[in-house]
Formats: sequence, C-alpha cells, structure tokens
Amino acid sequence: MSRLLAEFVIRAYVAGAVVGATAPVIGSFLVQRRLALIGDGIGHLAFAGVALGVVLGVAPLWGALLVAAAGGMLLEGMRTRGRLAGDLSLAIMFYAGIALGSVLLSAAGRFDASALGVLFGSILTATWSDVAAIGVLCGAVLGVALLFYEQLLAVALDEETARASGLPVDQLNLLLLGLVALLVAAGMRVVGLLLIAALLVVPVAAGSRLAHSFRGAMLWGVAFGVGSVLAGLVIAVAEGELAPGGTIVLASVGGFVLASLAGRRAARRHPRRVAP
Amino acid sequence: MPVIELRGVRFGYGAVPVLDGADLALERGEFAVLAGANGSGKSTLLRVCVGLLRPDAGTVLLLGGDPRDPAIRRRVGYAPQGLRVATSLPVSVTEVVVAGLVPTRGLLRRVDRRDRAAVTAALRSVGLADLSAECLFELSGGQQQRAILARALVGERDVLLLDEPTTGIDQQLRPQLAAELRRRADAGAAVIVVSHDPDDFHDVCDRILVIDRGIVRQVTHEEFHTHLELGGGR
Repeated sequence: MSRLLAEFVIRAYVAGAVVGATAPVIGSFLVQRRLALIGDGIGHLAFAGVALGVVLGVAPLWGALLVAAAGGMLLEGMRTRGRLAGDLSLAIMFYAGIALGSVLLSAAGRFDASALGVLFGSILTATWSDVAAIGVLCGAVLGVALLFYEQLLAVALDEETARASGLPVDQLNLLLLGLVALLVAAGMRVVGLLLIAALLVVPVAAGSRLAHSFRGAMLWGVAFGVGSVLAGLVIAVAEGELAPGGTIVLASVGGFVLASLAGRRAARRHPRRVAP
Repeated sequence: MPVIELRGVRFGYGAVPVLDGADLALERGEFAVLAGANGSGKSTLLRVCVGLLRPDAGTVLLLGGDPRDPAIRRRVGYAPQGLRVATSLPVSVTEVVVAGLVPTRGLLRRVDRRDRAAVTAALRSVGLADLSAECLFELSGGQQQRAILARALVGERDVLLLDEPTTGIDQQLRPQLAAELRRRADAGAAVIVVSHDPDDFHDVCDRILVIDRGIVRQVTHEEFHTHLELGGGR
C-alpha cells in the first residue's frame, strides 16, 4: 500500500492523469475524421526526433516535438493531396521513423534501455520538472482545443461543407495535427511513443459506446483516459514487475470492452427514439 | 445585380464535359428549382456556385465576388446531397446544426444564447425541435436529412444552395419545408434547390431550371413535364 503512495508513484499519477485527460480530447477529432492512425504515425516519427535530439545534444522532448510537428505537416500535406490513400504512405512513414531513430541512436552508442523507455514509456522515473513540462504541454493543448472546439468539430463532421461555409479548413487541420504533435511529445514519458496513440483512440472509442453526442463521447473518453492511466499504474506498481505503459493501454482496452457491454445493455433497457 | 451569376461556365471530370457553357443569373429574393437527368450536372453546378469546384472556363460570381472568398461563403447556406456527416462517433442533432452556424461568427466567439435561439429556430423550421438532443445516426433517413437542411438554414443567409433537400422526407412534411424556403426567399435570400421532383416546390418557386447537355435552360412547369415524357428528366 505504501508503495502505491510513494512520491515517485504520486508523480506518475499526476503526469499520467494529465495526459490521460488530454489525449481523448484531441483523439475525439481524429477518430471522428477516421484519422486515428495519424497519431501512430506521428508517434513513430517522433522516435526519430528523440534520436536526433540525442545526437545533437538537445533534450529528447524538443527533438520529438519538432520532428512530430514537421511529420504532422507532411502527413497532412499528403492527406490533402490524396497521397495517403490505402495507408501505404502512412505505413512507410511509420517504418522510416522507427528505423531512422534506431540507426541514429545506435550510431551515437545510445541504443540501450533508455530507448525502450522512449518507445514504451518510463513514467515511474519522471521527476517533478518532467511532470511540470507535461502539464504545460497538455495545458496548452487543452486550451487551444477548447478555444477552437466548435470549429474543429465542424470540420470533423463534414470537411467539405465546412470549407463551403467559409471555415479555414486547411489551417484548422494543421492546428489539429500540431496539437497531436504536442500531445505525443507530452505523452512520450507516460506510455511511450509506440503506445501514445492508444490513449488518443481507445478511451474515445469506449466513450462512444455510452454517449449520444460528440461532446458526451469526448467527456466519457476523458473519464476513461484518466481511469485507464490510474488503473494501469496501480496494477503495474502493485505487481512491481510490469511495464506501466503496457498496463495503462491494456486497462484502456478493458474499459472499452466494459463500455461496449454497458452500452449494449443500456440500449436494450432504454431504446432511443427512432422515427417511423 | 444578380446574387448568383454564371457566364459561359465549362466544367468536366476528365475529358467528359458536364457543364458546357452554362449561364445562370439569380436575383435576391428569387427561388429556383434545378432539375435534370441523373448525371446531368445539377450537383456539379451547385458545387461550382459555392467554389468547391473551379470551372475550366467561364465566370462564376457569388454575391458579386469570388465564391472561394471565405467572407462570401459565410453568407451562403449549402447542403450537399445525402448524409455526409462522419459517422465514427455519435453526434447530436444540435451539434450538427451548430456546425452550420460556427463559420458565420468570429473564429474565437463562443456559441451564445442568441446562437442557441437561431439553432432552435432552424430545427423548428424543419420540424425537428423535439429531437435536438438525439443522436443523428439513431434517427430515420428523413430526419437525418432534415437535420442537414437545418444546418444550411441556421442563421441569416443571403444565398441557399440545397442539393436534393427533400430526399427521404415524408410527403406530408415537404410542403412545410417548401414554405420555409419560400419565406427565406421573401426575406431576400436567393434560393436554388436541386430536385428530381419540382412538383414539391411548384407552388412556391419562381423558376424551374433544367440542365440539359451542360446548358441551363428555364422552362415552365408544363414544359418540364413534357421534358420528362421525352425522357430528359429524373
């Protein structure tokens, strides 16, 4: 019990809860637009950014952030030009990001356990300054997302009609991917670059099983995101040998299964009004 | 001055011309129904009008300017054909209609009480006010279509471009929608409705337009039905 309340675990709870609350907000827009894999792509590219940071002597967070942002713009450019069809281009970028990261780190003699921490998270080693950095990044992401919530939702619902109505669709798309890049950098420590996309998507998918509106799915997603992080951390810390990044994501998948069952049960008990 | 003006517009998908020198001029307060055979270019013409497609040749003026100008687009209510709303997550009817209002306001202005009233008014005009909190995808096809129509109608619009707005909607509700569009035209909006069935709007529209071989022609109701009998419509 005392281990669950140790200071390093408290730091992990705080950092994880902040990321767990922020990721589904951004993830809702991605899922609605069927761009769930974009988060994965940016996460993979950010690994090359971390490696670049190590080689150049820059903090890995900044390297991840810069390459993730550049990668996000590249992916959006490819998407709008119709070159992202069939996921082939996206898959090639996934592989290139991971491969470039591993080559750069090994060339620098740093392809060690710390690389695993970047890929799968190392939340239990986070310092208070790490927690502060995560808080600032997530705060910025949340603030901007809420400021442009209605515009981002209009584009997510129907991009063409939003464009025809005079919304700056291209700029809003870039803004969204910029927010994804910030979130990937913030979540790198919590669940790692390979799993951060799961926190963008799975809690939102769980929320969608219980909600009847976009806002409802997003808020349920936030609840599932925070719950998954805390449950995953408790399991990992209590057991002692489990990787917290993995237990967090598995907890979110468990939440999705429970939400799916609850959603079905609720639908049977309280069928919604459907017109004749 | 025409609010919607097309002069010699040509547009094709690849080598196939769809609009082949189309001319059109619609004044403020005019209500036109646009008919024609499947694939004749009705939806294409609306998309050209709103700047989603750039013509290969000719001139398109919307409210006297470039239809791709965001300031002009914000004065236009556009409803594409069919349900185009992304279906990955649940979306409430109100959220869909608010999405139509958002571009007409400042980028950072939040939805306020007046906006909520406009959303309610738009939903009421399509007979959907009591379903505002429902998930769009749990409604019938006709109700979904009415929500999409409300998104185009919400707020004050100078131009309404509506592609098959009555598809799937019950016959008894269609006169109410037609009367609402007439009311918008009487208030000063220019209205173009693409419809396979101009009979829905016979009592309220000012003009029936037919696209035939890439050209827009104005016809009388009787001429339209003759056109149908000769195999040129629907």
